[in-house]
Amino acid sequence: MSSVFDVVRAETFKALRKRRVYVLAALYWVLLPALALLVGRLIYVNTRGTFVEEGVPLADLMQSLFSSHGLATIALTGPAYASPTPYIIAVALMAALFIGEERGQNMWKTVLVVQPSRSAVLTGKLIVTMGTLLVLMLGAFLTAILFGTIGTAFVPTNLSGDWGGLLGLYLWQWAHLLAPVLLAFLLIFLVRSAVLGIVVVLIAPGLLEGIYSVLNTLFSLQPVTRFNAVFQALRLQRVWEELPRFFFTTNLYAPGRSPASGLANEFISEFEQGDLGPFSQLLGSGLTLGHSSMVMAGYALLFGLLLFWVFRRRDVD
Amino acid sequence: MNAITATGLTKRYGQKAAVSDATFEIEQGEIVGFLGPNGAGKTTTLRMLAGLVRPSSGTCTVLGDTVPGDSLREVGTMIEEPSFYPYMTGRSNLRHAARLHGDVSEARVVEVLEFVRLQDAADKKVRAYSQGMRQRLALARALLWRPKVLLLDEPTNGLDPAGIAEVRESLRHVARDGTTVLVSSHILAEIEKLVDRILAIEAGNIVFDGPLRELVARAAEQNVTYTISSRDREALVAALVELGYAPQVLGAGEVEVSLPAEDAEFLIERLTAKGVRVVSASMEEDDLEDAYLRLIDPSRRPS
Repeated sequence: MSSVFDVVRAETFKALRKRRVYVLAALYWVLLPALALLVGRLIYVNTRGTFVEEGVPLADLMQSLFSSHGLATIALTGPAYASPTPYIIAVALMAALFIGEERGQNMWKTVLVVQPSRSAVLTGKLIVTMGTLLVLMLGAFLTAILFGTIGTAFVPTNLSGDWGGLLGLYLWQWAHLLAPVLLAFLLIFLVRSAVLGIVVVLIAPGLLEGIYSVLNTLFSLQPVTRFNAVFQALRLQRVWEELPRFFFTTNLYAPGRSPASGLANEFISEFEQGDLGPFSQLLGSGLTLGHSSMVMAGYALLFGLLLFWVFRRRDVD
Repeated sequence: MNAITATGLTKRYGQKAAVSDATFEIEQGEIVGFLGPNGAGKTTTLRMLAGLVRPSSGTCTVLGDTVPGDSLREVGTMIEEPSFYPYMTGRSNLRHAARLHGDVSEARVVEVLEFVRLQDAADKKVRAYSQGMRQRLALARALLWRPKVLLLDEPTNGLDPAGIAEVRESLRHVARDGTTVLVSSHILAEIEKLVDRILAIEAGNIVFDGPLRELVARAAEQNVTYTISSRDREALVAALVELGYAPQVLGAGEVEVSLPAEDAEFLIERLTAKGVRVVSASMEEDDLEDAYLRLIDPSRRPS
């Protein structure tokens, strides 16, 4: 246990000397809420007193999106909808810093003779990576409150909101990041290149899910093709249709995306979920957070076992 | 208790054996030179001892513990080109290592920086360090937690003669405190003034394991080099070849030949018997370097 603590101290010491951590923090803590607040002010100034206000309750919109609570929600939900998401970019950058750099600087042999316990090295690095991500997310939560408070001076908002629930979603989303962190560590260590590892982390999950969509189109062709005839004969159709419920990205961002469905219901409540077309997929497609967490725990277990097995056995050159 | 024990240590990469059945023991407090040409298997052996590479077969123990084990915390290493975080200063790199290892005080960081005479450059980024400074910083890092065993791979690589002398003096100082040192090199002259014992490896096999003085004695006993001149150089060369030697033509009618010491006194007599008229001949006993080269190059061994 003390070896793990030693690694945590050393990696924290290293992280504090790395500029990219501060750049990420500045973008996430300052730029995102400042831009959101600016957009809020522009919307407010340009729509107040116009016909738009008759269709959309402007005060509610301002409170939902540009109050302290709204900005904190944006800081959680916004990154879950970009592509590639800032979450996965941050994960890849952290993995590059804490495990890729050892490869890039040829430091593995040094690290592993200074601290020969490989399990302690890996565990310590994972703790610091997850810790850094937690600091980034909680920092965003706190700065959103700060910017929202400043914003009360020029947009009609206040500090009310379900803060406990939102903080819970932040922590939930952070916990879901363990699986991609383990995947990133595994890939960077396996491909022996930080750059290639990062690229694979960024594109692999989406690529696999894209391939599924292409194949899905093929299998759905009518009349029955050779592909889907074999497929249906093997009674795999149902399994195939269930697959998206277990997709990595769909489940990974579930906590971050969950406030979006609340917002959608609030402003377009006359639509049923089914009427939202492709947006229903983005809003979660009926997946519960419990289901998503179970799926992500499964991924984390798989990647974690592989990572520890490979890391403990592989020769260091 | 031995500081290091290797028993049948073997490492294969595919079909090729980088180290083959290496068996040796090193007692606590010994300073052993690990000699061999580039690619002989020195670094692979050191990596196995440091727990970085898993042996294909055989075992090694350090301070009584099978590698990899807890005793590796008592080992300091410098293996191959020293590497650091280039965006950190020399001092920060040592502080990072101190935290990573644990049980190392800030005072010790300062102490090792002074020991390798880097205190003035300690706050410069490592990317601005010369090769020699990096070597010295790597030595400082290897000494940081007062290891009981030091594994050093070519520690004087890239150093100027003054730097080599400094490192040698530092290692002597460390060894006086009872630290076991296994130091590799492909240049005998670099470590002959430092070590008591030589372990020589060639093509993955240990070809000599013994005290330095035994290697010196073997050199004196085994071979001498004759430089012979004759007016008929072709006849001289042909006669030497006929006698089973491998002469080297030096020019100006001179030929150099290496032969076992016991043949030396009969050489001129045998050449004369073959009708070669020797104008002059001088004999030199092989030095340590020649003895070592013969160890690692069978073609130079006496027939």
